[in-house]
Amino acid sequence: MTDLALDVVQQLLNGFLFGSSYALIGIGFTMIFGVMDKFNLAFGVTALAGAYTALLVLHLTQGPLALLFPVAVAAAGLVGLVVELVCFRWMPRDYPLAPLMATVGMLFFIDEVIVHGTHGRPMAFPAPMGEVMMDVGPWLLRGDLGFMFLVSLGVMGILWTLVYKTRLGLATRSVSQQPVAAQLCGISLVRVNAAVFVITGMIGGVAGVLIGSAVGALSPLLSLPLTVKGLVTAVLGGLGSIPGAIVGGLLLGIVEYEALYFFGIGYRDMVTYLLLFVFLVFRPGGLFGQTRH
Amino acid sequence: MSLLTLFGFRILLGLSAYVVILTGQISMAQAGFYALGAYTAATATAIWGWPIVPAILLGGLVGGLFGFLVGFPALRVRGLFLVIATLAFTEIVRMVFLNLKYTIRVGDRTIGPAAAEGFRGITYYYENGWSALQIMAFTWLFVLAVLAGFWLMDRSRAGAVLRAVGEDELAAASVGINLTAAKVAAMAAGGLVAGLAGALYAHYATYLSQEEFGALLATFAIAYPLVGGTGSVAGPIAGVLFFSLLIDGLRFLGDWRNLLFGVLIIAMMNLRPHGIIDVGLVRRLRALLHLRRERAYAGD
Amino acid sequence: MRRMVTAALALLFVVGLLPALAPAPAAAQERVVKIAGTGAMSGVIRGFGVNSKAVFDMVVDEVNAAGGIKLADGTRAKIATTWLDERCNAEEGISVVRKLASEDWLVLIGPTCSNVAEPLFGILQRKVGDAGDSGLQFPIFTDTAIKPGLAKISEWAFRNVPHEPTMYTHLFKWLKEKHPDLKTVYGGVEKDFAHSNSNRGTMDAAAKAAGFEVMGWEEWLLADTEFSTQIGKMRRAKPDIVAISAHPFTTCGVLREMKRQGVKPKLMVGLTSTATLETMAGCGPEAEGLIIPSGFAPVTPEAKRVADIVAKKYKGNVDLHSAAVFENVLVLKRVIETSGVEAKPGTLQKDRQRVREGLAKVKEFDGLLGKVKRTEDRESVKPYVFAVAKNSDWAVLFDPR
Repeated sequence: MTDLALDVVQQLLNGFLFGSSYALIGIGFTMIFGVMDKFNLAFGVTALAGAYTALLVLHLTQGPLALLFPVAVAAAGLVGLVVELVCFRWMPRDYPLAPLMATVGMLFFIDEVIVHGTHGRPMAFPAPMGEVMMDVGPWLLRGDLGFMFLVSLGVMGILWTLVYKTRLGLATRSVSQQPVAAQLCGISLVRVNAAVFVITGMIGGVAGVLIGSAVGALSPLLSLPLTVKGLVTAVLGGLGSIPGAIVGGLLLGIVEYEALYFFGIGYRDMVTYLLLFVFLVFRPGGLFGQTRH
Repeated sequence: MSLLTLFGFRILLGLSAYVVILTGQISMAQAGFYALGAYTAATATAIWGWPIVPAILLGGLVGGLFGFLVGFPALRVRGLFLVIATLAFTEIVRMVFLNLKYTIRVGDRTIGPAAAEGFRGITYYYENGWSALQIMAFTWLFVLAVLAGFWLMDRSRAGAVLRAVGEDELAAASVGINLTAAKVAAMAAGGLVAGLAGALYAHYATYLSQEEFGALLATFAIAYPLVGGTGSVAGPIAGVLFFSLLIDGLRFLGDWRNLLFGVLIIAMMNLRPHGIIDVGLVRRLRALLHLRRERAYAGD
Repeated sequence: MRRMVTAALALLFVVGLLPALAPAPAAAQERVVKIAGTGAMSGVIRGFGVNSKAVFDMVVDEVNAAGGIKLADGTRAKIATTWLDERCNAEEGISVVRKLASEDWLVLIGPTCSNVAEPLFGILQRKVGDAGDSGLQFPIFTDTAIKPGLAKISEWAFRNVPHEPTMYTHLFKWLKEKHPDLKTVYGGVEKDFAHSNSNRGTMDAAAKAAGFEVMGWEEWLLADTEFSTQIGKMRRAKPDIVAISAHPFTTCGVLREMKRQGVKPKLMVGLTSTATLETMAGCGPEAEGLIIPSGFAPVTPEAKRVADIVAKKYKGNVDLHSAAVFENVLVLKRVIETSGVEAKPGTLQKDRQRVREGLAKVKEFDGLLGKVKRTEDRESVKPYVFAVAKNSDWAVLFDPR
């Protein structure tokens, strides 16, 4: 095989694997946006807050690395609950722009808390699998990103079960489709909303730890890209579609890596966004989307 | 004085997002129009040696032209999808300026957009001896013109059309409103105003760099009318005052200032979800005026 | 409840407005020299501003404790200060400087970011005495913003930052002498950050001048987190030296990816701004062996003393950027004392001019590491050392002083 073909395939694999981090963060966005019909821009930074808290606890307790996941999941779940409480609970339900703006405030706030806590410096994040490389024929693959891909599939499975096989899932779907009717049937809006925010927050915690460990460091620099790429992924996949978020994330990763290879860094984002723009114009509902949005 | 000049750019930017929001769309493209206006006008004065007024107008026109162009494809896209599509536009513009190199040498200085190095030497104001007061007055000339234009529009049929489209597209279409025309017009007007704002900003700052024109600026552009309220043109102004006074007025809090910033946005949205000056307030104020003038029926 | 919160918010707002509206406090009986500082106190660059402010407070306290500054008529004045946040944002930086210039501040130290310094210098008067130029007539003496060649924008702009071309030219020459067997250099640059991007040219020229073959440059962006594509190309090229022109966050990411892909150059060279504790906190083990020319290291008794006091009492780090604040304040003290600054109400504009002229006349001063020479275009040529990352700390590799 020629070098070119080898490289193109290597880029495809790199993009695919890196795309799984987009997928993981995109799932959280799509869950809140699509399933609950709410606009939450603070999700990316919720994930980051979970990862930072886990890092802090790890430093304070000198505990085992295994502590990272439960702490991050708990912390991010809690942040999710706070977001629901201060940005959604008291807002008018028929005007989505108000909570949208409130979550922007939340994004700024959590960002600044992180900046103040760390002076904005990048903090090393444990990466136990950071140097695992898999040789697949002539290609090199990153082990930690492969693991991330498997986790995002796992999260998708769990969410699917949750949404379609449990009472909570049923309640969630009914609330998002017919809030008034759902209330008439005795479903507590407050409880369901809070539950969804806590659960997506917890997914954010998992994503935060995995991304932190794949990057090898946490920095407030991550919050804007996480938010933007998470939104792009959710929209690309079609809002509300969890498999869509995964396919969208992987696709975004692949397009970015191939664009980087063929056009260079200065044009990577330009090409990616141009394709995204054109795609949205011709398919305004995303890959797996319905057109109701 | 400098603060007043800054308010000018921000109010224009807020107004440009406001006119689009009236039609019920959220556009993150304003930062892109702003950047286009800034680079165009700066190139006109610094490289082509144009006088200032046509340069600023050219900046506005280029912004408006791109608003018009983006308006058409964006018609098909709505809600969050539109947010992302327009954000994509802003990022594309930013990346173009990251790569664009077009410089000339004047004496020992290099002037013009130098890719990642930024655009240096936009010194029209200072070379021509403008005082801070003159710069402020010049900026506000445009701000007042746009404000007056929007205020008149708001009271005319055009404003009603835009708001009708924003309230309920189906209903608006069924009474014979041309949705395409309304939305594209709003987008073009927004682009024009954002382009003017950028053009004025470029000459005030003397230096441009692509990283200023990203998602953050776009977020602020829509934050001004959303926090200030979309009830009338006073809304975006209230929004700008809210943010600017927070940024500059809370300096005495030192490090706490930035933490408080986010908290206050959240508090504000909880207290006045439709913004400081929302439709309800405008209606009440109008009612109050009417009451005084003719002691007529004071409904709601 | 809602009404109470509204009231509280309104109160806060009014309180926030007060300082903006209230007239500046009348000049106190005691004469003061007012020196302002600005730096990034928020966002990802906050660490730089925090350090600069710590050093600023330290040196001002020291000068004041020693009796302050002697004015033209022989009275001694204390230094009065303020420190404002420029958020690494051009718009905010301009509004800060315009505000300070419209009040009675004599001179400004700062800012942190090159993308703020550039428009700040742009709004100053370009040539002194040009009546047709309405730019601000306000001296600025920069400590941190390091992008080469900025001070020549205005005659009111002064900088005391390391001169990167000199340092890198020397570094690569020295490396060639020390390791004559090394032939090739591969570069990597953070393309969308002004300082990193301009340093790419500096490194490239320095390496070529020293007789190295530059095999190519890989590029990435400030917020990138994954570098397998770029490092993949480096891996294939097998360079002897890898030169990275990027700030700590991406430098660390790149170093990690190099380790992952087994790219092991004989030497690594980094960007001046990476010679800080940030890099060590971010990726100490991976940075082992990274060589960086630095304008500061605690290698003289005075440098050690300042670094200790700032770390213990002011909770900041003295590094190549913040060290300049110490020098700037002492230089300003000397200039103010020798140029006839009166610090009376009414002499403000004249005093600013005196400070400018005084600064322009300084040809040399004693810095923390030794003699600092001043150039015609108002920049410094500072002594420097070559630092190397060792056991997650910076050590001095070579001291050319």
